[in-house]
Amino acid sequence: MKRLFIALMFISSAAGATVIDRYATELDVHADGGSRAMVTLDLKKCQAGRFVLPVGFGGMDRLEVQAAPDGVVLKPVPGKESSTLEIELPPGIAASNSLRFAFAAPDVLGRPKTAAGEKAKIAADTQLLRHTFVNTGALEIGVYELSVQLPGDLRVQKIAEQLPRTKRSEVLPRVRLDRTDDRQGADLQLANMKQGDRTSMVLNVVSARHSYGWLLAGLALSLAYLVGFRSLVKAEPSPESQSAQPS
Amino acid sequence: MDRMSLSSKTRAAQSTSERWMRYLGFPGGILLFLLILYLPAGAGLSASAQAGAACFALALVWWVTEPFPTYLTSLVLMFLLLITRTSEPKAIMDVLGMEVIWLNLLAFILSSMLVKVRLAKRMALWLILKFGRKASWALMAFVIIQMVLAPLIPATAARAVMTLPLMIVVAAIYGASEENNNNFGRNLFLLNLVGISVLSSMTMTGSSANLIAVGLIQTMGGERVYYMDWVRVGAPIAIMATMMMWWLGQKLVFPIAAQDRLPQLEGGLGLVEQQYAELGPLRREEKKALAIFGLVLFLWMTDALHMGWFGVEISAPFAALLGAVLVLFPRYGVMQWAEAEIPWHLLIFSAGAYAGGLALDDTGAAEWGVRMLFGGMDLKGVPFGVSYTVIIAVMMYSHLLTTSKTVRTLILLPIIITMAKALGWPPIAFALPAALCIDWVVGLPISGKPNVILFSTNQYSVADNFKYGVLTCTLGVILLVVSGATWFHWLGLTPSFWAVAP
Repeated sequence: MKRLFIALMFISSAAGATVIDRYATELDVHADGGSRAMVTLDLKKCQAGRFVLPVGFGGMDRLEVQAAPDGVVLKPVPGKESSTLEIELPPGIAASNSLRFAFAAPDVLGRPKTAAGEKAKIAADTQLLRHTFVNTGALEIGVYELSVQLPGDLRVQKIAEQLPRTKRSEVLPRVRLDRTDDRQGADLQLANMKQGDRTSMVLNVVSARHSYGWLLAGLALSLAYLVGFRSLVKAEPSPESQSAQPS
Repeated sequence: MDRMSLSSKTRAAQSTSERWMRYLGFPGGILLFLLILYLPAGAGLSASAQAGAACFALALVWWVTEPFPTYLTSLVLMFLLLITRTSEPKAIMDVLGMEVIWLNLLAFILSSMLVKVRLAKRMALWLILKFGRKASWALMAFVIIQMVLAPLIPATAARAVMTLPLMIVVAAIYGASEENNNNFGRNLFLLNLVGISVLSSMTMTGSSANLIAVGLIQTMGGERVYYMDWVRVGAPIAIMATMMMWWLGQKLVFPIAAQDRLPQLEGGLGLVEQQYAELGPLRREEKKALAIFGLVLFLWMTDALHMGWFGVEISAPFAALLGAVLVLFPRYGVMQWAEAEIPWHLLIFSAGAYAGGLALDDTGAAEWGVRMLFGGMDLKGVPFGVSYTVIIAVMMYSHLLTTSKTVRTLILLPIIITMAKALGWPPIAFALPAALCIDWVVGLPISGKPNVILFSTNQYSVADNFKYGVLTCTLGVILLVVSGATWFHWLGLTPSFWAVAP
């Protein structure tokens, strides 16, 4: 364990002067709860060496590098709760670079497991989308952004958690909901993430289709009221109509 | 005059149109609820926010049309917030423990004390004899009282609490009671509401939201607003608007019938004089009540110094709580618990209204609504005056969407400052006039704490409040726009109204 820690320190310090200006992830969530993440990493003051990039998803799989300068090597290290990526920058690399890579992240959306006999904490029709990102790497991240796109037939019921709390100096909320191509999504953002800083969000997700229960109940109640309280609008209000108002 | 008389009885529907409004209000509320609930989801709106907006709209229609008493609508709203999964059960139930509810409860204990020992009657009769021989002058006396109190007591709810017993007794003298609403009562209570809220914008210390705005203007806009900077633009607007509402209220909005312009006591002013004389010198009980009220008032006025004195701030509800302890103290107090007239039905109304308002804030529905007000507006290349007018109007009327001045300030001021920079105007030219609108929360009975307290007297309806409040806000927009084009410009605060940003 001690050796691993020393090795990580060595790896991280090798490219220590490199700055992650922007770390943006677009997460396309599938109906089965799996997802495909597309990451854009804008680097500045690049120096040759290796650094560890934390990835806020467990079970990272099928890494596909889509854009990277020649000689840059990306090595995934999948973990159960969160994975990491070892990135090696070659000697002579330009000062500013942009990397794009994609990977599959399983089980980002689903129902929390409850033990037998345990009381359910969320409604039967609700799934949770949890995301926690901790900057376990040595490099500071200028802006961390995560854009989630839900499957078309789902929508956010509520934002159950958004951390850290927004400061007064911040204009944008920590998590903002949006809609693209008829799919609802959520954007999480946090600036100036130093080593050990953490951001997280939990979304309660439900079906986008409405039940007709409210419509039927509303119409029935309206009809019942119009019949039951019709004395209110008789020509001369009877004592009965006045007493229809509870006193 | 000797009792507060705040029963839970609903106002009787007086006219045919009012009866029809009640009859159709119930299905109307449900229709609006269904419409909002089934609308296609807006970008950025969660299902709980949409449901919260639907529940609130239903309650708003029912509060205005009153198919049920307002407290019953509040209870329905609280249940709807739960069943539509808008709010957690704890969040709904916790509203009954909110500061405003406590202040309401304690206010009624203090008011009951003043009424019971007849101190409120003595003060009201004196006020009538000195200034109130005519209804319009009685109303003016209250404008002056609120104008004097505004810079002394920053807490608007405290100002409402301390003047409430006086309002109730003066209203009774002019024939306005809970059972028999008249236009004098409507003018009296709504003018006081305007006085309490709008006059807070005279100074930057008038409310904590004003101070937040000043902070945002400095940190985001890069310009410091000094105390007198605020006073010289804020005070004239607030005073002018209150004076104009004093006149417009009694002449246009709720014209006072000729017979209601004089005290409604049998025997006329002669009886008022006789009753005042019969009260004799201050009795021991009155002196005690005066001392207790004086102590509470002293604590309200010195809240900024408490931390240094006591190591803790005794906020407005806790000062009132101390007063209530003294009032109810066995043997040495002024009255017993059973004598305190606490209108629980009105506290339930307030709790439900706050639960609805908080649901709008917590689910993000209010923020979404406020952002949508600015969304899609392309103000690039338009003259300064057009952008200015739009911003002032949005800031002024946005109080109808949220119950918190602080939330509204924190959402809108940064947007306004950012927008000013993007359009190429000095941020303070938009931000300071917009900040002057923060305290104009007079549109609905749930728009602020004084609103809840004054509405609890049952002297006016939600529709009355809306009519009077929206007129006040419209007047405010007009005054701010005219000022922006003239003397704000002469003071160097705003550019020329016809200027186009480079």
